[in-house]
Amino acid sequence: MVEWKQQKGKWMKDTLIEEYMPCCMIIWTEHCKDGILSHNRPRSPVSMAMRQTPLTCSGHTRPVVDLAFSGITPYGYFLISACKDGKPMLRQGDTGDWIGTFLGHKGAVWGATLNKEATKAATAAADFTAKVWDAVTGDEVLTLAHKHIVKSVNFTQDSNYLLTGGNDKVLRIYDLGKPEAEPLEIAGHTSAIKKALWCNNDQQILSAADDKTIRLWDKNTKEAVKTLSFDASVSSMEYIPDGEILVITFGRTIAFYKAHSLDLIKTVDAPASIHSASLHPEKDFFVAGGDDFKLYKYDYTTKEEMESYKGHFGPIHCVRFSPDGELYASGSEDGTLRLWQTAVGKTYGLWKCVLPEELSSENSEALYCPPAEIKA
Amino acid sequence: MKTPVSVLRLPRGPDPNSRGFDPNSPRFIALCPTTVSTSSSGSVDEEEQRLRSELRERFLRTLLLMTDKQVQFDMFEKVRVRARFGASDIDVLNFQVSDLETPLGVQKEALLRCHDVISCSFEP
Repeated sequence: MVEWKQQKGKWMKDTLIEEYMPCCMIIWTEHCKDGILSHNRPRSPVSMAMRQTPLTCSGHTRPVVDLAFSGITPYGYFLISACKDGKPMLRQGDTGDWIGTFLGHKGAVWGATLNKEATKAATAAADFTAKVWDAVTGDEVLTLAHKHIVKSVNFTQDSNYLLTGGNDKVLRIYDLGKPEAEPLEIAGHTSAIKKALWCNNDQQILSAADDKTIRLWDKNTKEAVKTLSFDASVSSMEYIPDGEILVITFGRTIAFYKAHSLDLIKTVDAPASIHSASLHPEKDFFVAGGDDFKLYKYDYTTKEEMESYKGHFGPIHCVRFSPDGELYASGSEDGTLRLWQTAVGKTYGLWKCVLPEELSSENSEALYCPPAEIKA
Repeated sequence: MKTPVSVLRLPRGPDPNSRGFDPNSPRFIALCPTTVSTSSSGSVDEEEQRLRSELRERFLRTLLLMTDKQVQFDMFEKVRVRARFGASDIDVLNFQVSDLETPLGVQKEALLRCHDVISCSFEP
């Protein structure tokens, strides 16, 4: 786990409560009469399950259709959200605090991404452009004109190239060092491209389109190396470089493939139509959300449904784990982003683990206890 | 009945008056020490900065001078409209105008998107 401290000491990673079991909170039993929290003390935990408190990030006025996290930087990690209101927003990843809004697009923003260092952002919009932004100042750096709605944008690991895909069915690779140069084009899909991602060390490209196929392309030969066909349109795609896993959703199914060979690893069926899924960095769980407004959490190994959470007031369009796996963010038709804890009850970001004795003491005044009913 | 997890506060929402990206944040200061484009020699830097300041000041003074005057706006799609200029917002994203003459009639109050404006002209 990464330890980070902000310059003015505004937030620090709380290391005291690190060893709490997932999904429950440890209360001291008779064993530890003096109640001292110590890493070395043997303890017999009594778990008291806590209820998940999602953090709602407001600000967007229309459905949130895409979201992406950056890597972990010296300033923490960041989150960008794409919205039909045309104003993508940058937020601090662990708290959901708004940092800024990228202003300039003249239509719905369908895709948004950040580079690893969170210094650049890219957005894909219905105004037929993809834009590259300085993610520190919020300034627009580049506008890349396309011939139709752009749906997806993705940086290479070195942030030097941008991959775009959209309704004109062509994948384009832009050299950000030579923005006036014509992009490399890869054609082949017979319908609008929904998502295009770099994979295999940025040597190959994975694209999902409305033609119900996912294709793996070689960047140099521009040829399709492999094609996967489905009965239904693929709703989302996530690529996990560490482990080379591809997460795909279509209909009610969440499917996992090996990214190199496109061999199927496993599939899991959810109770409702799923629009997006994300695999935890440590591959112990995955989360999925879709038409029934709920977020589902599954054990990746056993494929068992562990939890489901209500909270959104509309279908969930996108869900992603943070780079440290401590939380996941969901974007919905209801115009909000919500942050959910992976280990419910753990102290992290704005969530504070509270022992029962503290709840009734003076300390509790500083804490915000959410009401039993969550209203819009 | 499960106890809900406590929260220190809710995530901060957008500031209605600005687009954010606080220039006083530690990240901004560390990664963008100067917003002036790179120039190798120091004196050229200063000269360029002086000229930029002058041009910015002229622009702001023009906006002030434009207040309550009849201004003709040339916009994209061969749109030309006349209106009485009121004010600009802080990021010069919108112009507040009154009595905007449009092919559909005169709009008493309106906001013009600066992004769509190519040029504006007026008699001082």
